[in-house]
Amino acid sequence: MTIAPPRTTRRSSTTSRTSSRTGSADAARANRGGAGLKQDGGGRGGSGAVARVFGNPVPQPPQHGKPGGLLRHLNLGTALLLGSVMALGFGYLANRLTKSGATDATFAPLAPEYIYLAGLFGWTLGFSIGIGAFDGPVRWLLGRELTHADAEYLAGKNLGWQRYFKYTTDHKVVGIQYLVAAMVTLGFGGLLAMLIRTELGVTWAEVFTPSIYNSIIGTHGIAMIIAMIVIVMGPVGNFIVPMMIGARDMAFPRLNALSLWLFVIALVCLISSLFVGGVQDGWSVYQPLAAQSPPGMLGYQMTIIIFAISTGVASVNLIVTILLMRAKGMTWVRTPIFVYGVFGAAIMGLYAFPFYQYSQLLAMSDRILDTSFFVPLQGGSVWLYENLFWLLGHPEVYVILLPSTAIMLELMPVFYRKPLFSFNFAIAGIVGVVALSGLVWAHHMYMTGWAPSANYPFMLSTELISIPVGFLVLVAIGTMWRGTVWTRLPVMAIYALVFNKIIGGITGIYLSDVPVDQYMHGSMFVVAHFHYMLMGAGLFGAMGGIAYFFPKMTGRMLDERAGSIGLWTAFAGFQLTFGSMFVAGLQGQPRRVLQFDDLFNISNWLSTIGAFVIGLGMLIFMGAIISSWIAGKKAPANPWGSKSLEWQTPTPVPLENFEVLPVVTSRPYDYGVPDPYDAKMLADEKAREKQTAKVAV
Amino acid sequence: MARATTESKMPLSPTTGEPMSTIARRSIGALWAFIVMDVSGTLALIISYSYLWALNVNDAWAPPGAKLDAAQTDETLPKASDVTFAPEWPFWAIFAGVVVATIFMWFAYKRLVAGHKGEAIAAATFSLLLSGALLVAQVVQIISFEFKTSQGAYASAVYALTASNVVHLTLVCFLLIGIVNRTHMGLINPVVAYQARMMSIWMTWISIAFLLGAVCTTLMLESPNTDPAVFGTFNVS
Repeated sequence: MTIAPPRTTRRSSTTSRTSSRTGSADAARANRGGAGLKQDGGGRGGSGAVARVFGNPVPQPPQHGKPGGLLRHLNLGTALLLGSVMALGFGYLANRLTKSGATDATFAPLAPEYIYLAGLFGWTLGFSIGIGAFDGPVRWLLGRELTHADAEYLAGKNLGWQRYFKYTTDHKVVGIQYLVAAMVTLGFGGLLAMLIRTELGVTWAEVFTPSIYNSIIGTHGIAMIIAMIVIVMGPVGNFIVPMMIGARDMAFPRLNALSLWLFVIALVCLISSLFVGGVQDGWSVYQPLAAQSPPGMLGYQMTIIIFAISTGVASVNLIVTILLMRAKGMTWVRTPIFVYGVFGAAIMGLYAFPFYQYSQLLAMSDRILDTSFFVPLQGGSVWLYENLFWLLGHPEVYVILLPSTAIMLELMPVFYRKPLFSFNFAIAGIVGVVALSGLVWAHHMYMTGWAPSANYPFMLSTELISIPVGFLVLVAIGTMWRGTVWTRLPVMAIYALVFNKIIGGITGIYLSDVPVDQYMHGSMFVVAHFHYMLMGAGLFGAMGGIAYFFPKMTGRMLDERAGSIGLWTAFAGFQLTFGSMFVAGLQGQPRRVLQFDDLFNISNWLSTIGAFVIGLGMLIFMGAIISSWIAGKKAPANPWGSKSLEWQTPTPVPLENFEVLPVVTSRPYDYGVPDPYDAKMLADEKAREKQTAKVAV
Repeated sequence: MARATTESKMPLSPTTGEPMSTIARRSIGALWAFIVMDVSGTLALIISYSYLWALNVNDAWAPPGAKLDAAQTDETLPKASDVTFAPEWPFWAIFAGVVVATIFMWFAYKRLVAGHKGEAIAAATFSLLLSGALLVAQVVQIISFEFKTSQGAYASAVYALTASNVVHLTLVCFLLIGIVNRTHMGLINPVVAYQARMMSIWMTWISIAFLLGAVCTTLMLESPNTDPAVFGTFNVS
């Protein structure tokens, strides 16, 4: 991506040139207590103080106390403390207020439900207060504007390691926080996966009771879904996207911090559910079964309600940032493909997550308030639940897939040193996926009897969506074709992703067919299919992305040897686990059961061995990340020789990202394409034209 | 040149140094995104209401007293239940109040932009007070419903829609307090008026949400499915 020399020493826009000339006039007006408001006699209440913001003098509002105000005293410790205290306090109150012996319609005692739910509310409220999430709204209400010094404090300037444990607004800090939180969630879900495979591998005995096994299954499912949604959008989306588009930060830095800490709150709600009966109904928690499950279900519902807010807020932030903060000259044609992927995922998250959130709100209401949205005996409908759920449930998988696929397309030009095979087809693929994702949801409901006549239109739309997904794979393969590959760890992840995505995609087409789904629905074949897509493509793509951006995010090079061993070990284990699972599914093994016929034993033994190999591989990869982060080789600013903007910043990246905002004049993938600003090239070109003209004459 | 002149009068954001017009564009963009989210959520409730109304599962859509039953109409027999559909006029009255509050907020914004700060504050304050009154009215309506949450799908859906109204009105009241206070302090002024504009847009969406709720709860009462499938009935013979 060619960056033309900016026209000013500080800012690159005419607006800023004009502003900087009149900045002092504004400051003088502010000092006189008005800024164009003489007829009202009012002013902005300026303090008279002026700060230099990126070289421009900017009038400041009054500074209330030290920069940062109340947030100087709030951090993760205060949040945990207040969250715990309020959880206990609310729980205690609920206990006192609940009538002794109260039961619900199924004669289950109500006290545990109320106490647990009250505890969750207390935890959410207390943690939010303790971390400082309400500081922004209260400040706004009271008219206490942030000064530049406040903003710098909030961004973590001069706070060192402590900024990672506070309500820090710098997108780079939020990105690292997301990376850690996502890795913790993945580890938690992965541990549960090992327990599942242990149960299914030990075919001669029961390791867990059915209810414990069911809760492990359900919790594993939702934990991994959440982890996969966050693993690319969170760390890479937050850390890299603003730099990739030439911005200094996200559009709304405080909303960025809010989305991260809401995710942390939701994660704790999910983990807590394991201790009160767990989530025993799969990750989709269908009604009416879920209404009869232990109080752990409330933990799941609270997790989703909060996580939906977190994702919604993050989506708003990403959408506005990408739409309105791209650098001068970064037209849509010059915007990196990863930005498109994140943008598409954010749009889907924006419109679809509220359906999921409301499905859980209504389910919670059925449990606690005795409503009957999903209780057939009282006029409710379980199909309503399934429709509301899958209206998000399917776009959600593309929220997972698009960013990881887009990362793959982002890496490929760098490591094949050639432009993306067809940027336009890649865009068409992303747009097609976003457009069609909202029209396929009922392919999860073929066997529910909801609307048999609707099965075939949904079959058609589901098969159609394979086309834009296929575009993305074809663009990847086309980019590889005749490229000079530089085989590094991120490229290996690309190979893994493409291989897995092809298998997952093709098996998805089988499942999209109603007659095939009649047999395959609810079998291990389905489980293998979505693991190939979400883990095989999603997780391996995320690993490639993390490996690629690791130098920029941490200032260290990732240990490629250990990382490669981890990646390929996990890949080999993955094929064994889920390849065998396809066989088990074809043989007829149902999903979510711990007892099955001996016919399926061999497949399950192989899957379990494979799962432990995955675990080993992931541990090696995680170990590589941690050891490299602590003591890896220091990374240069642009170890991959990439042309995109994020690699033009120094490492470590300064707080403001760019000292001078860049101006973009070419596409980001023109590797091997002559630089139009190269002086020698221009001179050669002129000479050639003269020669051609002479010959013509 | 004219644009540069206008932007040269535009105050700069104290945190980023950018013109406030840039901040305004981003904020209004974010507002539209939030409205999309809220539309989805509201649609989820509207879909729930409509779907359950259309299905009338187990003939349990309507509250017990609303079902036409010969025994109900025979005056010599005790009524099986008086619990019937909620009166319609409060839904429309509250909707009308929200519309009036929205109109006053727009008026406040327009007067502010024209430079009449006093009128703007007065109009916004009226909008705030009216919104507060509507919030109280909405809570009173919920408390006075004759049906309980467990008395049919209609009851559940109405409680959900009106609860959503309470949440919306609470947020509106909070934001209006901020708008009034900040206008009074001069932080929202004729040059930097985007937050008042945002509030007006938001309240317009809220009015639409209230309208959708009122349409459902008044025009979609009796289920069109008068011969519903009955699930889960067990005969002990």
